[in-house]
Amino acid sequence: MKTEFTAEQLADPKIARANQILRSCVHCGFCTATCPTYQVLGDELDSPRGRIYLIKDMLENDRDPDAKTVTHIDRCLSCLACMTTCPSGVHYMHLVDQAREYIEERYRRPLGDRALRWVLARILPYPMRFRVALLGAKLARPLAPLMPDPRLRAMLDMAPRRIPPVSRNDDPQTFPAQGARIKRVALMTGCAQRALNTDINDATIRLLTRLGCEVVVAEGAGCCGALTHHMGKTAESHATAAKNIRAWTREMDGEGLDAVVINTSGCGTTVKDYGHMFRSDPLAGEAAKVSAVAVDISELLMQLDLQDGDDKGMVVAYHAACSLQHGQQIKTYPKDLLRRAGFRVVEPADAHLCCGSAGTYNLMQPKISKQLKDRKIRTLEARTPDLIAAGNIGCMMQIGSGTGIPVVHTVELLDWATGGPMPPAMAEAGPTALAGAVKDPAKGVPILR
Amino acid sequence: MQMPEPNPDILSRKADLVARLRTVLPQEAVIDDLAETRAYECDGLSAYKCPPMVVILPGSTQEVSRALAICHEMGVPVVPRGSGTSLAGGALPTADSVILGVARMAEVIDTDYENRVIRVQTGRTNLSVTGAVEDEGFFYAPDPSSQLACAIAGNIAMNSGGAHCLKYGVTTNNLLGVTLVQMDGTVMELGGAHLDAAGYDLLGLICGSEGQLGVVTEASLRILRKPEGARPVLIGFESSEVAGACVSDIIKAGVLPVAIEFMDRPCIRATEDFAQAGYPDCAALLIVEVEGSDAEIDEQLGLIEAIARRHDPVALRQSRSAAESAAIWKGRKSAFGAMGQLGDYMCLDGTIPVGALPHVLRRIGEMSGEFGLGVANVFHAGDGNMHPLILYDANKPGDLELCEAFGAEILKLCVEVGGCLTGEHGVGIEKRDLMAHQYDPDDLAAQMDVKDVFDPRWLLNPAKVFPLDASDTRRRVA
Amino acid sequence: MSMTPETEQDLAAIIKGAEGPLRIEGGGTRPLGRASNAARLSTRGLSGIRLYEPGALTLVAGAGTPLAEIEEALAAEGQRLAFEPMDHRDLLGTEGTPTLGGVVAANVSGPRRIQAGACRDFLLGVRVVDGQGRIIRNGGRVMKNVTGYDLVKLMAGSYGTLGVLTEVALKVLPVPGCTGVLRIEGLSDAEAIRALSHALGSPYEVTGAAHLQAGAAQTSVTLIRLEGSEASVAYRAGELQALLAGSGAVSLDTDPDRAAADWAHVRDVGPFQGCAGDVWRLSVKPTEAPGIVAELPGARALYDWGGGLIWLLIPEGGGVAGPEIHAAVAARGGHAMRVRGDRSRAGFAPLPAPVAALQDGLRRKFDPRGILNPGLMTPMETS
Repeated sequence: MKTEFTAEQLADPKIARANQILRSCVHCGFCTATCPTYQVLGDELDSPRGRIYLIKDMLENDRDPDAKTVTHIDRCLSCLACMTTCPSGVHYMHLVDQAREYIEERYRRPLGDRALRWVLARILPYPMRFRVALLGAKLARPLAPLMPDPRLRAMLDMAPRRIPPVSRNDDPQTFPAQGARIKRVALMTGCAQRALNTDINDATIRLLTRLGCEVVVAEGAGCCGALTHHMGKTAESHATAAKNIRAWTREMDGEGLDAVVINTSGCGTTVKDYGHMFRSDPLAGEAAKVSAVAVDISELLMQLDLQDGDDKGMVVAYHAACSLQHGQQIKTYPKDLLRRAGFRVVEPADAHLCCGSAGTYNLMQPKISKQLKDRKIRTLEARTPDLIAAGNIGCMMQIGSGTGIPVVHTVELLDWATGGPMPPAMAEAGPTALAGAVKDPAKGVPILR
Repeated sequence: MQMPEPNPDILSRKADLVARLRTVLPQEAVIDDLAETRAYECDGLSAYKCPPMVVILPGSTQEVSRALAICHEMGVPVVPRGSGTSLAGGALPTADSVILGVARMAEVIDTDYENRVIRVQTGRTNLSVTGAVEDEGFFYAPDPSSQLACAIAGNIAMNSGGAHCLKYGVTTNNLLGVTLVQMDGTVMELGGAHLDAAGYDLLGLICGSEGQLGVVTEASLRILRKPEGARPVLIGFESSEVAGACVSDIIKAGVLPVAIEFMDRPCIRATEDFAQAGYPDCAALLIVEVEGSDAEIDEQLGLIEAIARRHDPVALRQSRSAAESAAIWKGRKSAFGAMGQLGDYMCLDGTIPVGALPHVLRRIGEMSGEFGLGVANVFHAGDGNMHPLILYDANKPGDLELCEAFGAEILKLCVEVGGCLTGEHGVGIEKRDLMAHQYDPDDLAAQMDVKDVFDPRWLLNPAKVFPLDASDTRRRVA
Repeated sequence: MSMTPETEQDLAAIIKGAEGPLRIEGGGTRPLGRASNAARLSTRGLSGIRLYEPGALTLVAGAGTPLAEIEEALAAEGQRLAFEPMDHRDLLGTEGTPTLGGVVAANVSGPRRIQAGACRDFLLGVRVVDGQGRIIRNGGRVMKNVTGYDLVKLMAGSYGTLGVLTEVALKVLPVPGCTGVLRIEGLSDAEAIRALSHALGSPYEVTGAAHLQAGAAQTSVTLIRLEGSEASVAYRAGELQALLAGSGAVSLDTDPDRAAADWAHVRDVGPFQGCAGDVWRLSVKPTEAPGIVAELPGARALYDWGGGLIWLLIPEGGGVAGPEIHAAVAARGGHAMRVRGDRSRAGFAPLPAPVAALQDGLRRKFDPRGILNPGLMTPMETS
């Protein structure tokens, strides 16, 4: 596509990158077809092609963002389905990230909006603050109908019924491998996940050590920075990301790391992009090294010797998190692993569509998020699974809030299948949750160890 | 590209128009802020652009009818738009026009497997029509390469084809009925679930009329049971001419594959990067697909391979799995987009008699040298529908004009050898001024007579299809 | 008066100079709604194959070319007109030679229409002289062509009321090696249509699906045609026999002569040839077909296109009149046309007002003086 930047504008490396991205777009419109917000809203402006146009116009004319442009860019889930679809290789992620930063710098949001973003940016990335907030939300839930702002109601609705106790596994330490050490890996324990669901990290540590990995929870590592990064709050996101880069660099320089392993794919996409985020930063070299060894848990497991399991007689509907299937282009590994472990894997129709969780999206855009959630649950339930598995805590919370079918992390199932405990979400759901599997002779009886 | 001057009188009544449209449409379905209308300034042909005055996104036939009646009454031109994937500028606005987008009308109204017909709202994408019936083993046959995104409305407007229309025909051969809203808001049904409607074949006339005769809001489409299987074979040759000769021989032999697709080296490389389909790196590649049971496929491919071997192919390989076949087609169908990795391009769409393929490919190669612009070729070889992609640099002054001139020469060549300007993309804005090369004044007058009958004020999709000087008097009278 | 121009220019001159109505005629085998005071204008002088490229599946010929000449040329190359045009002579009791132009003007298709398409689907281009005497070309001779409006479709089936065809270009197809006919006897209309729907909804590419009601001497017969290579036909026939096992015994016949005779019988409405009474042609949604026929007591039916086409015979004094037939069809979606009966008035279906307005508008544009086949394509009076 033709662009209209001046030579002076192009001297700015950010604009040069935007120009490079815009020039590769041929305006074919394929991206509209797989964009969740376009499916829901049917307006070109709420599609990648429309947003690219809005961004192009804003950057070319160096104009301050207007409310309408901001609305349409805010509605983007950053699910990156468009990048999977795009035949021309348009790097939409870098373009929209740049637009968000531009908006954050040059647009003054209405007070309520600013306050909400300020609060989220200061709570979610900090597990202890988030725990307190969740407790408050639990207490405040009865007041939800009184809330004037639908976004505040959404926040209360999303707060889980059960807030798990702190897991000491998330503290900095090293878990030795069982048997001979095959790999030494750093586990990113994350931020919100540590407050919302401690089972995932626990299961990951059990599974990896069982398969011969020494697992390090590095001192000083924390939030990946994605939450603030997607709000355009570059200073904050870079600050938290830098802490991680330093923490893992210390490990790499010390005993060495074969991988930085991430079990929350939303974070994984961001850690894998550190190299780009820090490309003009003094930490560029270290950031690139971290990105190079960052892997999703499923990628690491494919390299390990996960033994084949007997048929469990259970149908698992695999929900592909956008950050995994689009952001990291990991599509088959989780399904392959679940099948190897003995689960029967099915997928919902329109598996490429986002569930509407998308980081803080379900809090900031509750209406669109709800439509996407309902659609996702409808297509998942149509497959009548015994369980739903996903590789991202955000999706798990989102889907779990709307279905009676237990929702678990892929690693919890793999841990269970190789000797770990039954995932708590299944145990809690009780025997009724597994009734389908037990009653239907065609599916066989679950073989539980 | 010359466009009519925007009518200042219409522009001056914008506020009034917007207010009236908001009385019949939801608030957010009327877009009038320049920051937002700009995203509708072009379609898949981004070389030409112009922001419309207003964009409307109606949600029902009734809303379309009411909105059109208002525009008609106020004398405001309307540009219907499906998904905006036209490569011919079919949805290019004028500055004084209203874009009428049908994207919010995407529901399936009825599926009838016994009578093999589906009724959909026309904002639905082509591929999702198949998506609605594939669990029952059916599909909708026309498969334009943009089928993932393009809307049935646009397919009907352009009479879209696709790779598999060698066997299944194009849109007009698979369209049974429509709900048509005329410019004055009149709603009518043409055809239905039955074949060969009464009276003149107005359905056939509407199909391919580029949105100039009415807005189609619903369509009854023929659905077919999926074949038991399908398998493509990749045949590589050392030159385009040899590949062209092979195509002609396959057809002459009485074997009729469902698709015969052609790609040359630049296209092969670009699409392989995207789809990893395992295309052989050769000067010219044919993708030939046949359908049926395994034994039937083997039988047909045996015949085709025997013919191909007489032309000394440099590569010959059948697809080994469903996943590989999918990758082969994904690559082919993304070819235009994938070419975007190499730079800007203009995609042409002439059709020629199959026998003229070698001659035309050679001439295009020669002209490429004369104009100093690269060309990549990807096309439906079985029916002679060519898609030369002329590569240029949109940011380099003068390059677009050079590219247009080259494109015009290629299309004139198509007409010269007995072909036509456009096989499936439509005339739109892109080939409007070349129409006189294919048609005499009386031929064009007859087509414009039809326009006079359906849209006497010439308000629908203005400035497309007919050269402005040819339509000048009629538009003035209107 | 009768005129037979030999060139397009002569034809244009005749039309320009015409002072009264003209009755356009090819071979004269499909006489519909003849205007008694009209001068005869024959296209038979515009005859001959102009171009035939078997490798491009394309044939171009003058409108007056006898169909037999076309079919002979195609057969020599192992090709055919896949839309299987019907021969009206025996049904209508007419003489003469069907012409290509006549086939196109009436959009005549046969049993294979359900799979291959109608005449209009194979029509690549036309040359036509309209009522103003303008020589108009539309379409061309290539397979895919969306250059400008599709007047080719408009001309197909317009019965010469917009213009006189002078030349047509058609897509042709190879003749498959083998034909197999599956046959089920004794089915009721409703059972037969269900079986045909089932077959047509299978992946086995049925190219003919007809049902002949029981007569005085024989039981009802349901026919399904398969075409392709020998192995392919055998395979698909086997699959269909299994699929339709619930409908009764399904026999297979691969004798080429019997297959040709069977389908010519269906195509040319053999059962009603030589029977007295009006003949109607109904285009409907297949599953509605038996219900429509049941509503018309006394009518005999032949179902083609899996039920989508009903040929009706209304025996003399049969008691069912035009308005009842139109009403029965209109209520369930579709249209009806009388093809045999009172020759002075063609039996075209009534059209909804906005459609009729467009049709009238087009006719006034292309034939402002109203001289081309006046009376044809005009909906029959509801009396």
